[in-house]
This record gives sequence, C-alpha cells and structure tokens, in this order.
Amino acid sequence: MSGTNAWKRSRDRMKLFPELLAQCVPEATAYGKCVTATTVGKQELQKDLCVKEFEALKTCFTSAAKKAGK
Amino acid sequence: MCMARVTALPEVVPSLRNISTGRTTSEHILSKSHYRLLRCARHLSGRPGGAMNVFDRTMKRQQKKWAASLQDSDKYDYLRAEAGLRVADRVYDVARTFPLALDVGCGKSYIAEHLSKDVVERFFLTDICNKSLRQQRPSEMPTHCVLADEEFLPFKENTFDLVVSSLSLHWINDLPGALRQIQHVLKPDGVFIGAMVGGETLYELRCSLQLAEQEREGGFAPHISPYTAVTDLGNLLGQAGFNMLTVDIDEIQVNYPGMLEVMNDLKGMGESNCAWNRKPILHRDTLLAAAAIYKEMYGNEDGTVPATFEVLHMIGWKPHESQAKPAQRGSANVSFADLSKIGKTPPDQKS
Repeated sequence: MSGTNAWKRSRDRMKLFPELLAQCVPEATAYGKCVTATTVGKQELQKDLCVKEFEALKTCFTSAAKKAGK
Repeated sequence: MCMARVTALPEVVPSLRNISTGRTTSEHILSKSHYRLLRCARHLSGRPGGAMNVFDRTMKRQQKKWAASLQDSDKYDYLRAEAGLRVADRVYDVARTFPLALDVGCGKSYIAEHLSKDVVERFFLTDICNKSLRQQRPSEMPTHCVLADEEFLPFKENTFDLVVSSLSLHWINDLPGALRQIQHVLKPDGVFIGAMVGGETLYELRCSLQLAEQEREGGFAPHISPYTAVTDLGNLLGQAGFNMLTVDIDEIQVNYPGMLEVMNDLKGMGESNCAWNRKPILHRDTLLAAAAIYKEMYGNEDGTVPATFEVLHMIGWKPHESQAKPAQRGSANVSFADLSKIGKTPPDQKS
C-alpha cells in the first residue's frame, strides 16, 4: 500500500517502538519482575496484578513517544 | 505448556471472535489435469472433510507471497539457509547418487544450492507460492519448479529416489497424510530427509505473550502455531510406512534486540501465524507488557533477547528387501554373559 494511510502510519509508529522501550528500562524491568515472580511463587497471575508497575511503564512510554513525536 | 496439536485453548475473553471463512482446501492451485491425481491423493491424506484443519493455507500462501515480494527479503533468509545447509549435510552422509530428487515446500530452494551433480542429478522443487519459486537460488544440477501444495503432491507412485523438505512441514494441516504421500512418491529404498520446526520452538515468545495477555486482559489465546513433539515424530513416520527412522533435534538460538524484532523477522520470513484460531488483534498494552516480560525473563546480559528454533531432523526409508531386517528369533550365537569379556583380549590375538 503506497501513499499515507492508516496502515502505513501505524507501521511507521511501530518502528519507533523498540527505541521508546529502550528509554524506559527501569520501569520495564520492574514490571517484568512483578510478572515473573508469579511463575515461581505461589501467587497465581490474575488480571491487573501488576497494574501499578504497568501504569508506570505506560506513562514513561507515552511521554517518550510524545518527545519523539515533536 | 505443551503445544501439541490442540484445536484451541479456551478463550476466557468472550468478546474475541475468530474470523473463519470455513474453506478447507486450496485445490485451485492445481490444474485440471491433476484432478485425477488429486482424487487418488485425497484418499491417502487421512481423515476426510475438515477434520484436521488447523491452518489457513490460502493465508499462508498470501503471507509467503508478501514475504517474497519484499525488497530486502534476503535479510530474512538466515534461518532457512542454515536449515537447508544442515539437510544438505545429511544428504551427503548417505553415500549414494540420486538420479531424481524432490524438494517439498522449497521456498527459494535452500538445499539444492549445496548439493553437487554427482549426489543429485535432477531436482524437482515444489512450493505453494510461485513468487518464491521465481526467486530460486542457483544450483549445479538442472531443476524443475512445480507449483504444488505439500498435501496434494501431483506425482506418480515410485518416482523419486530422494525427497527432502526443510522448514515447511509445520504449516501442513494433515501431517500424517502428507508423510504418507511422500512415502508414496518415493521409490522402494528411497529416502526422505526432512527438517521441520517443532517441540519448543519460540517458547520464549509464546510464554511472554501468554503472561502479558493473562495479566493485561485476564485470559490468553494461542499466538504461536501448534508444533509436533519430537516423540510424536517417530510414530508419524512409522505410520506413514517409513523404515529405519532417525530423528534428532537441532536447537538454533538467534539473538535479537527485542521482542518486536523477533516478530518482525518472523513476518519477513513468511512465518506469521495462519492458524484458523488465531486472534486477529494484539492490543498495544499487551504488546508493551509482553516486550517487557520477554526482556526480563529471557534477556541476555548484553541486552539482547534469544529466540529458540528447535529444528527436528528426520530420515526415513521406503521399505525394500535389501534393507536390514530384525534377526529371527533364536538366531543369536553370542550371549549377553560374554559382555563382561569384551575388554579382555584373548591371548592369541594382537592388542
């Protein structure tokens, strides 16, 4: 698909994903540790178990995206 | 977490629906002249109707066509090239010349380029995607390209001395049927040397997506296609009528900068999911969560993440009288009790 359309725009946005994630390493590590703790511990993984860590990761990610978008 | 050939994992989130057109076979790629062969091949292909219908073959052909039409499609060839090299290695191990060989699901033909004319004299290459066949890599011996589906081989019985297949059998709906057809087109004392991804391939990606979806959405759907376990492979080959089986596992681990690059490379290879039960959407939050989990659970010290490809290699022979048979009962002339005397040389022999 040539020209600008929704697919091309979203593909271009996706290309930025790894760089943006690289700017949020501590939040990503914290979230990852929270989830992986359930695989070894007794706690079963439920929805929104690590929501605090995920919200921190998401805010860091969206602010990095806003900065990159400028 | 065994991804044997199950139809679908239970989907806890009810709002997700799978898009299914209900079409079961992709017969239209064969010409009318192959229709009679198709009918006779169908009774060899196991259960009738759509009983074993895991993958959308039309979608797979479209994905392969898209991957082949990329400008930089060579960038994604590394896995297939490596697997093709290892299969060619195994062909060399068989000390024979094969006048006629067939490559099932060849893609751009990664095996023929490593073989010499005195090992294989003529090569037939088949694939479901004609774009990859047109980008066929050069090889020493004369080749013929045939557009054919792996499940409906348009060849007569007892045609080929050698059949090879590298990394394409994992998209076949009816694997027992396909193996039976391969055995059918082989000559007696012909050999089938194949490689397919199976077992624990991409377990890192599968587990990361599963955990992320469970935490973000409260349930998960299968995103990685079901693979054949190595223990099942021996049974499959035996049921298809092969003799003297050899099955071994090669683990190829490739390091990537992150999860997104893994998924991008899989897409570029033409290995995107095409199972009927695939979830059409991957939410942004889930993607972010899965990337974080992947890095944390499986990341290497240098910041890269590994992706494991477990390649199952199999060798099977079509039965022939010249092949070694199990010995007759009661024909033993040495005893197990003599095992203890193996290390000691008798006095009248040189050491």
